[in-house]
This record gives sequence, C-alpha cells and structure tokens, in this order.
Amino acid sequence: MAIPDALDRLLQALYSGVLNGSVYGLMAIGLTLIWGSLRMLNLAHGALYIAGAYVAYGVLALGLPVPLTFGVAVGGAALIGLVVQVVLITPILENPGRDSASLIATLAASIVVQSAILLLFGGQTKQLPPLIDGGFTIGTTLISYQGLVVVGAAVVCLLLMSVFLHVSRRGLAIRAISQNMDAAKLMGIPIVPTFVVVMVTSAGLAGLAGVLLGSILFFTPSGGFTPMLMAMVVTIFGGLGSVTGTIWAAYIIGLMESFLAVYVGASWALPGIFLFMIVMLVIRPNGLFGLGEARRL
Amino acid sequence: MIGEDAEAPGPGHVLALPPGMERGTLTRLRPTARPWAETSWLAVGVITVVMLGLPWALTRVDGGNYITHLIITFFVWGIVAQCWNLIMGVSGIYSFGQLALFQVGAFTTGVLSFAVGLNPWGSIWAAPIVAVIAALVIGLPTLRLRGIYVVLLTLAFHELLRNWITTGPQWISGGGYGLVRVPKLGFEAVLGPQYEKVFYYYTGLVFFGLATYAIWRILNSPIGLAFTALRDSEDYATSRGVDPFRFKLFLFAFSAFFTGLAGGFSAHYNGSASTSLFDFGVMINLLVMIVLGGWGTFAGPIVGTAILTFLTELLRAFDLYRILALGIAMAVIAVAAPEGLVPLCTRAFHRLFDVFFEPDEPPARETADQPNPETRSTPRDG
Repeated sequence: MAIPDALDRLLQALYSGVLNGSVYGLMAIGLTLIWGSLRMLNLAHGALYIAGAYVAYGVLALGLPVPLTFGVAVGGAALIGLVVQVVLITPILENPGRDSASLIATLAASIVVQSAILLLFGGQTKQLPPLIDGGFTIGTTLISYQGLVVVGAAVVCLLLMSVFLHVSRRGLAIRAISQNMDAAKLMGIPIVPTFVVVMVTSAGLAGLAGVLLGSILFFTPSGGFTPMLMAMVVTIFGGLGSVTGTIWAAYIIGLMESFLAVYVGASWALPGIFLFMIVMLVIRPNGLFGLGEARRL
Repeated sequence: MIGEDAEAPGPGHVLALPPGMERGTLTRLRPTARPWAETSWLAVGVITVVMLGLPWALTRVDGGNYITHLIITFFVWGIVAQCWNLIMGVSGIYSFGQLALFQVGAFTTGVLSFAVGLNPWGSIWAAPIVAVIAALVIGLPTLRLRGIYVVLLTLAFHELLRNWITTGPQWISGGGYGLVRVPKLGFEAVLGPQYEKVFYYYTGLVFFGLATYAIWRILNSPIGLAFTALRDSEDYATSRGVDPFRFKLFLFAFSAFFTGLAGGFSAHYNGSASTSLFDFGVMINLLVMIVLGGWGTFAGPIVGTAILTFLTELLRAFDLYRILALGIAMAVIAVAAPEGLVPLCTRAFHRLFDVFFEPDEPPARETADQPNPETRSTPRDG
C-alpha cells in the first residue's frame, strides 16, 4: 500500500510509541503500587522484568506450548517477587533506617537475580518466539501481530488492575494503606500480607512486560535497567502513587520517546525525555496527576 | 548549678560551664564534638611512617609491585567511596551520580592532556574543577527534590553521560572504548621505570590523605552536624535554621571535587579513561564498599574499600561468582546489620574486652557540673 511519506513516519512513530507506552505502563504500575503503599523504591523491578523473559526462555526448552510458557514466566517472576518480599523487605519494615535499608536490599536483590541469570544462561542476547507469528505492513511500517498482542494485553491488565484496586477487598486495603498506613493499621487491615500481595502483583506485571517484550526485542541479563529507568520516569511524571496518572503518563512518555526518535533522531530520545523530566519537576513537582500526600492511588 | 543532669546531651552537644569553671571561655565542646583533641598522635605517626616506608619495602619483595598497584587502586576507590558515603550515608541524598563525576574528572584530564596536549600535571587540576561544575549543574535542579526523584535524575545523568561519551566525537569517545593513550605523569624519568609505581603511590597517598582529612574535619564540624541533622529529620533541622538546599549543594560540590581528582589521577595512572568504568557493576562494587564497611560512618568506606580491593584479587579465580557473592553480602548486611561491619565490630570488641579493661575514657554522661572524674556517680552504660 502506498501512502505519503509524512503519514508513513507518523504511523511509525505512533505504532512504536503505543508499544513502548504499553510496556512502560506494565512496568510503572508495579513501581507506583510499591511506592504508594510501601513507600519504597523497588530497584529490583528491572531484574524482575528480565527474570520474566529468562524464565520463559528456560521453560521453552521443556517444549510446553508458548502461551503456557508465558504463564509460567509470569508466575516465576511473581515467585521471585514473593521471595524478595518475605526474605528481604518484611524483616526491615519496622527498622528506623528503612529508606536506605530497603534501597540497599532491593538493589542487592536485583544484583543477585541478574548475576544468577548470567551464570545460568550466559551473556549472549536471546529472543523469545512470538505468541502469534506474522504481521502486516502499512506503508513501510511493519506491524506485527505480537505487537498488537502486547498492546492488548497491557490495556487489559491495566484495566483489571484499576478494577482490582477499586472493587476488591484487597485492592481497597492497598489503597487504604497508601493513604494512611497508621489509620489502616488501626482499622485492622493486615499490613504485612497486603504488602506481600502488592509485591507479588507488581513482580508478576514486570515479568509479563518482560515476556511480552522479549519476543519483540532481544534481551541480555542486564537489559532490565533501561526499562526500569523509563518506568521511573513514567511513575514520577504521572505523579507518584497515582494509578490513573501512571497509565496516562506511560503512553505520553512512550509516544514522546518514539516521536523524538523518528523526527529528531534516535540519540535524542533519552536526553529529550530526561530534559523534559527536569523541566516538569521544576514546574509541577508532584507530577502530572500528582495529588500530594492526601489522596493516593 | 544545674541539678543531676536533667537530660543526657547527645554527641556534639555544647555545654555551658557553671560559674567559676570558665577558665576564660564561656562554653566547652564535649569530647565527642572535638575528636581532633583526642587523636592519638602516636597512632597517626606510626601509620604515617608505615605508609611512607611501605612502597620502598615492597620494591624489595617478590610481587611487591603488584601489591603497590593494589594499594594505589585502594587510594583511588577509597576517595570515591568516602565521597559517595558523604552524600549517601551522611546526608541521605540518594545520588547515583558519583561514578559519573569520577568519569567527568577522568575524561576532562584525558581530553586536555591527550587531545589538547597540555602537561598532565596541569590538566589533572582541571579534573576536580570540571567535576565541581558538573556537580553544581546536576545539583541545582536535583537537590531541591528528595528520594526517588534524586535517584532518577542522577541515574539519568549517569546514563546520559555514558551515552554522550561512548557515541561522542572521536577526541572524547576514542571510538567507543574511551581514551586509551592518556599521558602518564612522567615518574619513570625520575629514578627509572622500576620505581615509577612508588611515586604514583605517594601521589595517591597525598590525594587520599587530603580527602580523608578534609572529610574527617567536615564530619566533625558544625557542617557535619547539620548534615546529620538533615538526614535524621529534615523538617526539624529546617525549623532550627539549617537550609537543606545550600548545605546539600555545598556537600555535592565538595565531594565532586575529590571524586573528580580521583578520576583524573586514575586516568593518568592507568594511562586510559575507559568507558567500561560506566558499567553498573563498578557502581555496585563501590556501593558494596560503603554498605559493607558502614553506611554513614567515617571509617566504614575506608575499611570497606580495603576489604573489597584485596578480596577481589584473592578471589580472582571465582570471578564469575563475585558479583553474585557481592549481592548476597549486600542483602545480608541490609537485613542483619544495616549499620555495616565497622560499627558492628567496634561494639563486639567493646562487649568482649570492656570486662577486662577499665575504660579510661570519661563516661558518656559526664556533664559540666561533674567536672571531676573521681566524683562521678553515673555508671558507664553498656
């Protein structure tokens, strides 16, 4: 199909922007949940993302069907999240120096996971097979079915997450804790189990992002770092702890990145976003949808 | 006269003396607030003599040259770890930009001496200056923010700098690997190449000593107290008249100076400014040095750097498992001993040996109205 050049570039930017945004959304929603309720920055998030991709890669050798493999991978990432939470985070919850201790603990977890992956799988780049093979082209833009699966899965997960937080008892507990932990404690909300739920959910979502993107891009053991950085950008841009804001911000940042890459040059995408970030933090320190301390999630 | 002391003053508390006890001054610092008055000059003298004689002794030993190299490496990373600890541990700014500032120093002097052709002894002083300017540029937008914002912006600075240096023009990127022919400091001309490392050792020792002394004085000055106050409760410190932004910016620039100097020295010593030092593994190594030794303490990063520098060499055969072991060590420390090894060992030492030795230091609760140690009634706690 022949379409004008300008439209072609626009389409290219839109497609990769929405794709990026979906993955950032999946990553960032986990970060923002943890930040909102546990008040801690989870530096292991990138490692969980890449762990999802590698678990899928490892399980694939067993010969299971691809969708089942992806399910196992999400479960694997969630399991790692559970272990990190129970072994590292729960013991230090009551410590006075919790901020720095949790920063170190999650960084340690990310190092352990990454180097374990390196020892198990080696440092070569890997790729996963797609859920659905093939795709179609509009102009020169190749739109793969896997890309559409990623976008669809992300949108469904984000919507489910929103419903979970606003309807289910556990979700309400998470929101209550993030609004005021002491009051939530006094109302009889079990803090520690709720934190475990938050961590497992967010780890599962990170693993899902890793699996989905692993069949589009190549990955290496240290490949979780840049997505985590972008997820942090999204989290902050959307306003820390605000789920709706995070979803909007994910797509805005994703689109901005791809538009910068297409129209200005690929090497300007990251610097441009960081510059934008700095300017925004100076103008609106609470983020796009930041609600300050009073209302979160 | 104040009664039997109402409230035990914290370390660094300034006490007014009762009338008749002034000896010409109105106030007196508690011993913990003026550690320089308590320094054992004998210990300092012995350490100085040993440090000065060590490289000459090592030239006589088999493999001594390599040990000298390790000690020089220790000097370089010791400076950086101490500076980072000042930012992270002492003042609680979660900045991950220290390694980037180190690289700013290394590449500044590398470019000036290699591409521009300046004398290395001149260009090495540009390294700390440019690093300070870079720190001010990052610090101005960053340091008004807290926690996750600082982590993000400093990591972003690190990534951007790495990006820019690896993909930049040839005179800075050297084709992606960094500058591989940075001029050396010219020590081989003095006494011959076999004594070259001895002079690097002395240069490193001077830089390390300067940095350590400056940090020690900062920690024990009113500025250091302000940083501790800011870390423990920013709201309270602000309400007592400590301006967080100005203090943090000062600290940021101060630590950037020595970090940049260490970077410059390392570039000239190794003869290269490598982009591989941007790797996350290097940053983690540095962080483990601080966390292992003791986050926020004076001696912690020095001890941590020493342990890691020499341990890495001893465990070279298991290099594959090194990072994994570092991660596990960090996790154990974070959960089991968050304050690090140095405070842990000090306390264990006191618990073990205080039974045998009568403590000869004044008790922690000595106050102005009990000037005579003989009449003290409060038992030593612990």
